[in-house]
Amino acid sequence: MRRTTAVSAIAVAATLLAAGCGVGSKSSTADATKTVATTAALSGSITFQTWSLKNDKFTPYFTKLIADFKAAHPGTDINWIDQPGDGYPTKVTSQVATGSLPDVVNLPPDIAHAVAKTGNLLDLKKNVPTLQTDWVKSGLNAYNYQDIDGGATFFGFPWYLGTDVSYWNKAMMAKDGLDATKPPKTFDELVAQAKVMHDNSGGKDYLMSRAPGLSDIANTGTKLLSADGTKFAFNTDAAEAMLDKYTQAYKAGYLPSNVLDNSYEGNYKLFTKQEVAWTTGGGNAITSMQKDNPSLVPNMVPSPALDTAPLYVQGISVSSKSKNLALALAFAEFVTNNQNQVDFLKLAPGFLPGTTASANDPQYSKSDGTPQGDASVIAYKDMQTAVNFTPPIWTDAMNTILNQEIAKAMTGKETAKQALDNTVNQANGLLTQ
Amino acid sequence: MRSHRFYTPWLLMLPALVWLALFSVWPAINTVTLSFTNVHQLTGGHFIGLKNYWLLWNDPHIRDAMINTVVFMVVCVPLLTLLPLLLALLVQRQIPGIAFFRTAFYFPVIASAVTVALIWKWLLDDRGLINNLAQSMGFIHKTIPFLTDRWLLLLSAVALTVWKGLGYYMLLYMSALGSVRRDLHEAAAVDGAGTVRRFWSVTVPGVRGTMLLVSVLIAVNAMRVFSELYILGGRTGGVGGQDVSIVMLVQQAASGSDGRLGYASAISVFLFFLTAVPLLFLTRLNKNAQEES
Repeated sequence: MRRTTAVSAIAVAATLLAAGCGVGSKSSTADATKTVATTAALSGSITFQTWSLKNDKFTPYFTKLIADFKAAHPGTDINWIDQPGDGYPTKVTSQVATGSLPDVVNLPPDIAHAVAKTGNLLDLKKNVPTLQTDWVKSGLNAYNYQDIDGGATFFGFPWYLGTDVSYWNKAMMAKDGLDATKPPKTFDELVAQAKVMHDNSGGKDYLMSRAPGLSDIANTGTKLLSADGTKFAFNTDAAEAMLDKYTQAYKAGYLPSNVLDNSYEGNYKLFTKQEVAWTTGGGNAITSMQKDNPSLVPNMVPSPALDTAPLYVQGISVSSKSKNLALALAFAEFVTNNQNQVDFLKLAPGFLPGTTASANDPQYSKSDGTPQGDASVIAYKDMQTAVNFTPPIWTDAMNTILNQEIAKAMTGKETAKQALDNTVNQANGLLTQ
Repeated sequence: MRSHRFYTPWLLMLPALVWLALFSVWPAINTVTLSFTNVHQLTGGHFIGLKNYWLLWNDPHIRDAMINTVVFMVVCVPLLTLLPLLLALLVQRQIPGIAFFRTAFYFPVIASAVTVALIWKWLLDDRGLINNLAQSMGFIHKTIPFLTDRWLLLLSAVALTVWKGLGYYMLLYMSALGSVRRDLHEAAAVDGAGTVRRFWSVTVPGVRGTMLLVSVLIAVNAMRVFSELYILGGRTGGVGGQDVSIVMLVQQAASGSDGRLGYASAISVFLFFLTAVPLLFLTRLNKNAQEES
């Protein structure tokens, strides 16, 4: 009896093992590259998912947007759902795993990349002839992945674009002998002014307040990927020099001592508390500050981002598994057409539509004279040259490794070269796993 | 009297068996199965043999994770086995106001993780209460790097664990102390045994079973340490990942839309065998002690 039980257990385990060899959802790009018939009249219903946009500010806009679409296409229905800000990647992952990804879905490029790899997003290039003329190239490129179909496909309509603007606390800077109207323009100038602030305040005030990241490496002129785009190769001399400068600044006390540990609250929070005099933020940071610390707003001076500004893209994708692809595609185009994006961004100053018709619209280059208006214009100008630094193959796990290695370098446990070499080697190792 | 049908006990056990099969047996088998694949969160995978275990062997973080986890366990087990017993001895006395102290000692057990995180970070931060107090009183000139030094952070996590676990294990001991015969204490006292002698010769043997249970529970929980280090060290596992634990490696490997479920499963299987070692040791220790007595 005992022997029989043992044999049965082994047999069951072996069966499960064999079955497990193919566990997990299978990747299939067949659905992604299909052509959608758009000639017939639209009908039926679809689900549209946004990310943290159902609130007093945006709900009226989306209600009208859906009503307008339904009026133009009688017999259609749009079920709008919104997901909370936290845990969105996990939510989308579970939606893909359970086959319940909404027909039209708001996805940033990194999440879209993971979903597109599973064949769950529709290739828009094949189905939208005007894709590359109506939507801006920088936005579209964020949804074009070299590791999927050799980069021949596009998986998102650029919806709204953002970038970083620098904000300076003019009162703190004036107290320490600095002029907020002449802020640093490069990383080297930043370190120089951080030294002045440190020395003049006896080490109590800070200008710099964050450890470097991937964008700082890219801003040294370093190409993050190898020429063929398949491996990371950012362990360059320029990146090493930048990390060395950060390490020296940290050791000299130009940054708060806790920027590397878990009590670090982030540079925006420290700026809000007036513990540091510089932060980066979106083009709408002054509007946000009205809620967080209104007394600080008069002291906020915006300026262009240091070196090259980063480009942040939000997009609208279509699920390739949608049962009503024609309606889903039509609605995604409608949401992201120029007029609807312009109307949407009237509610979100500091961002720019992802359409070519608006890219050079003079209305975005004129300030109303307020600091928020100035910041919006700076954001608009920055976005003309902004770059989406983060390659789509860069994952959370890789970012954790980078942060760990940078911390080791800044605390003297490794040299900058060792830290960058280790990061590149480990990140490349993850690509093959 | 009617005899029971043979399946009656099975029917009674069915709900529990289904629960066990669904939430314990199946996940365990599935974890072992996944550990031989390269399955990712979204993209599926296939059988890769022992490659995940080879990767684990060469993982630059596994050595630190093992050291941290084992040190954490070795320090936690004696502290959380003995301190709650002493606390239980203190609060089992029936004196006015003792209920307040029992509640106070139990309070950390029910405190939410978010509250605990805020309190401990506020205490241990460079500009936190302990450093500020020590500096203002002139005890130190330079801040104590509780959250940046590898060993101080690990010891802080031990302190947090002990603080949070004391009340729970104290309750277990209070219940066990109730069954220690009072006449044994009285006889020992008559024979001239002092408080310490009676503690080791009467109390400890009387609660040995509970002590073993407590030490096993602590050892298992310590091997799975995650939240205490996450609270204090953050998602990177301290500065430079030097305070990462084995479960943190599992979490880091499996999280994100590109999470490596196969590799995370291999780490879990490794942790299972690593946990079995102290368990077998403690069981053996108890068996020997019982045979000697």
